[in-house]
Amino acid sequence: MTRNYLLSTALGLCIATPALAVEQADVLTTYADIAAANYDDARITAVALQSAVDALIADPSAEALQAAKTAWLAARVPYQQTEVFRFGNAIVDDWEGKVNAWPLDEGLIDYVDLSYGGATDENHFAALNVVASPAFTLSGTEVDASAITPELLAETLHEADGVESNVATGYHAIEFLLWGQDLNGHGAGAGSRPWTDYAAGEDCTGGNCDRRAAYLKAATDLLVSDLEWMAAQWVEGGDARAALSETDATGISAILTGMGSLSYGEQAGERMRLGLMLNDPEEEHDCFSDNTHNSHYYDGLGIQNVYLGEYIRVDGTLVTGPSLSDLVAETDAALDAEVQSKLATTMLALGRIKSTAEAGFAYDQMLERGNAGGEALIMGGVNGLIDQTRSFERVVAALGVDQIAFEGSDSLDAPEAVFK
Amino acid sequence: MKRLFCAIAIFLGAGAVSAQSLSDVTGAAIDAHILPRFERLATDAQQLANVAQDNCDAASPALRAAYGTAFDAWVGVSHLRFGPTEHDDRAFALAFWPDSRGVTPRSLLSLIADEDPIGLDADAYADVSIAARGFYALEFLLYDDAALAAGDAAYRCALVQTVTADIAALASAIDADWRGTYAADMRAPSQTGHYRTQEEAAQELFKAVSTGLEFLGDTRLGRPLGTFDRPRPTRAEVWRSGRSAHHVALSLAAIGELAQILAAGDAQVSDVVADGFARAQARVAQLDDPVFAGVTDPSGRFAIEVLKQSIDAIRATVRNDLGPKLGVVAGFNALDGD
Repeated sequence: MTRNYLLSTALGLCIATPALAVEQADVLTTYADIAAANYDDARITAVALQSAVDALIADPSAEALQAAKTAWLAARVPYQQTEVFRFGNAIVDDWEGKVNAWPLDEGLIDYVDLSYGGATDENHFAALNVVASPAFTLSGTEVDASAITPELLAETLHEADGVESNVATGYHAIEFLLWGQDLNGHGAGAGSRPWTDYAAGEDCTGGNCDRRAAYLKAATDLLVSDLEWMAAQWVEGGDARAALSETDATGISAILTGMGSLSYGEQAGERMRLGLMLNDPEEEHDCFSDNTHNSHYYDGLGIQNVYLGEYIRVDGTLVTGPSLSDLVAETDAALDAEVQSKLATTMLALGRIKSTAEAGFAYDQMLERGNAGGEALIMGGVNGLIDQTRSFERVVAALGVDQIAFEGSDSLDAPEAVFK
Repeated sequence: MKRLFCAIAIFLGAGAVSAQSLSDVTGAAIDAHILPRFERLATDAQQLANVAQDNCDAASPALRAAYGTAFDAWVGVSHLRFGPTEHDDRAFALAFWPDSRGVTPRSLLSLIADEDPIGLDADAYADVSIAARGFYALEFLLYDDAALAAGDAAYRCALVQTVTADIAALASAIDADWRGTYAADMRAPSQTGHYRTQEEAAQELFKAVSTGLEFLGDTRLGRPLGTFDRPRPTRAEVWRSGRSAHHVALSLAAIGELAQILAAGDAQVSDVVADGFARAQARVAQLDDPVFAGVTDPSGRFAIEVLKQSIDAIRATVRNDLGPKLGVVAGFNALDGD
């Protein structure tokens, strides 16, 4: 390949370069080790959620519903940290929509408040309500939904009619089934689905409690199997790990692509600034549970994890090794200090959102029109994320990982074009 | 790692331009492209607000003409999304689109239904959701059947005046910031400035071209195209006022002008870039489908797909020829992510 030829030529010309302490291959190994541990933690905590859901369905009660919610919140902690692996690794990005698609038109799944409205220009199935509909027509095809199975969710309902907000699977579908809609607008409080939505016989509220339970069970089982699959891709011999090490340079650019695309376009833009500019209380990542402050915080932490080459597992184990930070420091120590400082600034800003939310000022309250305190909190996070992305671009330039592997990945699709 | 750095340095040394000529390129882009276009936007937006003060009836030909002229000026700068446009969310407030969750109709109809007093106060209106501000909200107020029939006519009329005054204020603020300090800062990068080197300033302009083309191909054309089985004609940009294809032509012309400035000094790159844009412009001109309604039938769809391919071809040219000529890469942009 052209690239290899040029690199070996350059190697000849630069023969005087001293031997280096940090090898790219070792940095990639640390990155893959963190991914493997992180996805395994996501799997472990999803299995705990699955047990709590099974217990809720077997013996519905307020306590059992609360236990399932607690398990869901715990499961989000490791999962959100994995989001940094998404945009740089095609195998993750292609799969991610099954587990963490957002935002969703929840009326597809279950009953909603009248204020939700019905079908929209964008989505004819925004108010389908599968829980109440054992049979319906979808894009001209009769669908038998008498049994709610993982296959029905994954293969028929998810992204039905080609509409992305028809989210039938993943964390946010489960979140809706546990919490229900948050009807408090910009006021205090999350969704408050009664536990009796899962009760048997005459105690059942909201109708079709057995079908709702079947949906929750199917969605949770699917989440566990999807996470099992992804965790397996990152162990020794897994496809994600192998793809990363095809060449060292593409691996390093995958790390930086994940960090930059998550920081800027996705988190700072789509998830934080847009919601603030729209003043819409539904424009928050975990809108049913009011857990958005944690989603943002752990997204940011994931970015810091991969740069520093350190991840602390849910059981307290430290996973660490040679890092991108080490590699940058070797080329430009000042730039490494700049990146570390910006990552720390972002974490402080995201930490302020988290601590304020935990003290009672929820993320959807921060989004309210004219709320200056909320705007300052959220923009602190946005500005930190945008600012750190500029430093990532400087890392790209300093390391010479030219033509970074953006989403769509033109440079990976046509590497010969890069060095022609 | 330093070995790879050597390889890149050698590679750039052979093809990339010097810091001096990068500075010339940036200066030319500011003087011949950026400043005149933002001045035009500020002037046309003020004219729109003035016309609306005199006649806020949605059906008024004078108002609709002024809307068209000012919107044209916006599309001509819509690829320049950095610096003054991003301060205080100005560009988001001028141009909230695409609106995949239907927030613009929802926000406007609720203002109208409530006769919310904020809709009567152009200064306070800056606190309103961006979905109810700017050109795309104005299109809805002037051309959507539901909006035209909603609520009280006098309130709607006043809301048009408020939205246009807000547009004028935003355009004026962007223009003032460019003339104030931003242009000077971009011309003279420094270790403490927003741009540390000539390369960083040139990279910003290069990103404007590459991101502008990405938005043009994937969003302005990609949204209505949908898939073959499920085309989405009502996702076309500003179809209510019949301007979808017109926006593609305007945006192509504007991005082409900037790309040509960036390519200056290298006849070969300059020719390839000019050819690419000319081919795409010819295809828009031949289209005769102002709102991309043809996405739903095979022959109409084919013509639009061919147009999109010609834009994808320019993207490749920009990436493979223009980037190396400048010695910069695309970096991150706001369209990364889902």
